[in-house]
Amino acid sequence: MTDKTILTVDNLALSYGSNPILKGVSMHLRRGEVVSLLGPSGSGKTTLLRAVAGLEQPHTGSVTIAGRAIYDAAANVDIPAEKRELGLVFQSYALWPHKTVFDNVAYPLLLRKVAQNEIAQRVHKALKNLGLDHLAERYPHQLSGGQQQRVSIARALVYNPPVILLDEPLSNLDAKMREEARAWLRNLIVEMQLSALVVTHDQSEAMAMSDRILLLNGGVIEQQGTPTEMYGQPQTYFVADFMGSNNVMQGRIADIRGGMARIDLDNGLSVWGLRRTNAAIGQGALAVVRVEQVQLADTPGENRTEVELSTSMFLGDRYEYVFHAGKDLLRAWGKRHEDAGKRWLEFPPEAVWVF
Amino acid sequence: MLQTLPRRVVVALLALSVFFPIGLVLYQSVLSGPFFMPATTLSLESFVFIFEDPDFWSATKNTFAIAIGMSLIAIPLGAILAFIMVRTDLPGRRWLETPIMIPIFVSPVVLAFGYVVSLGPVGFFSVWFQELFGSVPWNIYSLASIIVIAGLTHVPHVYLYSSSALRNLGSDVEEAARLSGASPFRVARDVSLPMVSPALLYVGVLVFFLGFEIFGLPLVLGDPEGHLVLTTYLYKLTNKLGTPSYHLMAAVATCIIAVTFPLVLLQRALLKTAQRFVAMKGKSARQRPLALGVWRWVAFALILGWLFVTVIVPVSGIALRSVVSSWGQGVKLLDVLTLDHFHAVFEEATMIRAIVNSILIGTLGGALAVGGYLAIGLVTHRKNDGITRFVDYVILTPRAVPGLMAGLAVFWVFLFVPFLAPLRSTLFSVWFAYAVVWLAYGMRLIQSALMQVGPELEEAGRLVGASRARVSRDITVPLIRNGLLGAWLLVFMIFEREYSTGVYLLSPGTEVIGAQIVSLWASGAVDVVAALSLINMALVGIGLAVALRFGVKLHD
Repeated sequence: MTDKTILTVDNLALSYGSNPILKGVSMHLRRGEVVSLLGPSGSGKTTLLRAVAGLEQPHTGSVTIAGRAIYDAAANVDIPAEKRELGLVFQSYALWPHKTVFDNVAYPLLLRKVAQNEIAQRVHKALKNLGLDHLAERYPHQLSGGQQQRVSIARALVYNPPVILLDEPLSNLDAKMREEARAWLRNLIVEMQLSALVVTHDQSEAMAMSDRILLLNGGVIEQQGTPTEMYGQPQTYFVADFMGSNNVMQGRIADIRGGMARIDLDNGLSVWGLRRTNAAIGQGALAVVRVEQVQLADTPGENRTEVELSTSMFLGDRYEYVFHAGKDLLRAWGKRHEDAGKRWLEFPPEAVWVF
Repeated sequence: MLQTLPRRVVVALLALSVFFPIGLVLYQSVLSGPFFMPATTLSLESFVFIFEDPDFWSATKNTFAIAIGMSLIAIPLGAILAFIMVRTDLPGRRWLETPIMIPIFVSPVVLAFGYVVSLGPVGFFSVWFQELFGSVPWNIYSLASIIVIAGLTHVPHVYLYSSSALRNLGSDVEEAARLSGASPFRVARDVSLPMVSPALLYVGVLVFFLGFEIFGLPLVLGDPEGHLVLTTYLYKLTNKLGTPSYHLMAAVATCIIAVTFPLVLLQRALLKTAQRFVAMKGKSARQRPLALGVWRWVAFALILGWLFVTVIVPVSGIALRSVVSSWGQGVKLLDVLTLDHFHAVFEEATMIRAIVNSILIGTLGGALAVGGYLAIGLVTHRKNDGITRFVDYVILTPRAVPGLMAGLAVFWVFLFVPFLAPLRSTLFSVWFAYAVVWLAYGMRLIQSALMQVGPELEEAGRLVGASRARVSRDITVPLIRNGLLGAWLLVFMIFEREYSTGVYLLSPGTEVIGAQIVSLWASGAVDVVAALSLINMALVGIGLAVALRFGVKLHD
């Protein structure tokens, strides 16, 4: 851990009654870095964010921000949420409906006893940065979803917190706006050199926005790394399955050669892949391959196997082919329409993971 | 978690305000005489006395008869009324919603008086009926009449809970039954009714409980033929022995609480089950009302008939009685019209004080009470700890104590505690009793307003640097302004309507209309009672009009 580290979470555990939500999570965030907490619902990602914010009560572990312990179970330190100096952008934005945009953003400064004229100055600067200057006198219900989100960000940034927390920042926007907002938000974070912790359940959002991803599963960190590592080198089936669109096939290990393994699949195929399991020959395993890694071919060849193409679906930017292989439905992508019939699928061994 | 000082103060004051008066009643019940007499010792003789008194047993019997009888009348009628109002194409449904609620807001003692002047032996309707048909088939003073009137006037309570349960019931579950092949009536029988049955069970216990603490109706209607219930028995005990028989009253009060307190706990448990049922609701899309065909006019006529009996008959009787000098067979209405009763009211200082005090206690007192309820609501808001659970039960406790006894207990407190004694003959003592008696009601209003505030709005306040107290002041309270206004208007109406709580606190300076009516009724001053009753209803009516103007929901 370097002195660039701004947020450290160490072995944090939290339960609701007898139901453990976080089972000892450790992570850190460096200055100017964006880290995503990714995971399915119930994985504890939002709980972790809220525990850092001081809105949930952990029972062990510690949280340190910029060298200051804000929670430490062993030392009995628990700084209340309002003294943690963190910025949080809520999933629902949580703008106060009885205050104007200006008053929403000014409130944190008012609490810090900043002089009136300085408040006006800083609020207007914050609103200007987010392109909201002309909306200062509006009430939240008079704004669009995207504008509300920007106000919420302005409110969380106006007092210069060392770390900004974002809880599912894009989930309340409609699908089309979400991609634009994603680019805008990433740009804003980079430009303002913010240190951000982002909760999301959408893996493409996490990959696009963050420098590092922490994938949580059942209250523990399953794997962490850069987006390319997470996508390209999953260490467990859970990570491989969560991070992309896959063909998943069940079978038994037939052969092992160093880091490679051959698996005889229940659907009748047999493929070589990267060995990610300790299962011995004869034991059950899963073969996972990204949909975009499976290549359609018209002739037999190395690593190719014959399958029955059942239909082609047009997805706009590409076609998706659906194949029958035994009981399994396999998918592959391509550029043109293909008629149903016999085809060959190529499974490149370095793109197949055997778990 | 750190307990802040203001939180402790609020909870301690609350617990003291609730438990001290009730504790005093329980303590008094095991003394041999009034607690302030030096020769008093611990003893159970007060219980022995009342258990040997045949009047006590007949009062107990009558109480159960009324509680059971009125439940049997009110629950089916209220449930049917709710179904018709919520689920069918009854003409004028929207228009009927407010009149249906009126019986809840009219003081029972006023209502009872209204029945006497309308349907009593020389009541307006009795006389008119007799002139038309030769004789009057009813006797308003019989126990059966009391039961019927109590049943009919409690229909709105049942309506209130069953209609909101029916509204919460997602229409998709009914539509699913329709598509599976069930007729509308099968749907009602097999799906809707079973799904609202937890609410009906709750309201059944509630009505039985209300029957147990009923006071105004039997006081006025039961007196002529000597039908006592436990509360009126308690009231009559005051003068029974000549000396203050506090220990006997306390013993009766203890007996009543022994029944009502378990009922309150039962209601609480039932309400939780009922809410669990509702939590499973589906989408509440607008659904097509059930077409009643010709029956809609029959239903409409029945509802109008019920309104005629429970609202128009007593209210018009009072209105008429307050402007005639006398009434009876052969009297011509135009000959006896007069405004003398109102002149009499406005010429007497006591009456003017009663009116002014009533207005003060409703407006200023109501606001103060809402402020107190709000303080309690805020210290327990979004804190699920031991103190909050404790407060939950404290709030519930006064619900088990009928107003008459709560007023008595508060009277004793102000008698017993030396530094409070000077406040006994001020309006503060009445306000305090009212605020404690209606604690559970007021807290429900405040809590449901507080629950409307999204938790993230408060968390956002914490995150940007506001302490709990700051969040309450700057975010929570401003957000529930409308809820607070609504609570204030409803508490105003409830405080105007209240009559029994002020009975024992009545003294020069603390007169309120409700207690004044009870006291004047005993002295037979019918003219003044009529005028005061009309003024009382007018005050409640003003509150109702303002509440409707501001769009306040009359329930939950």
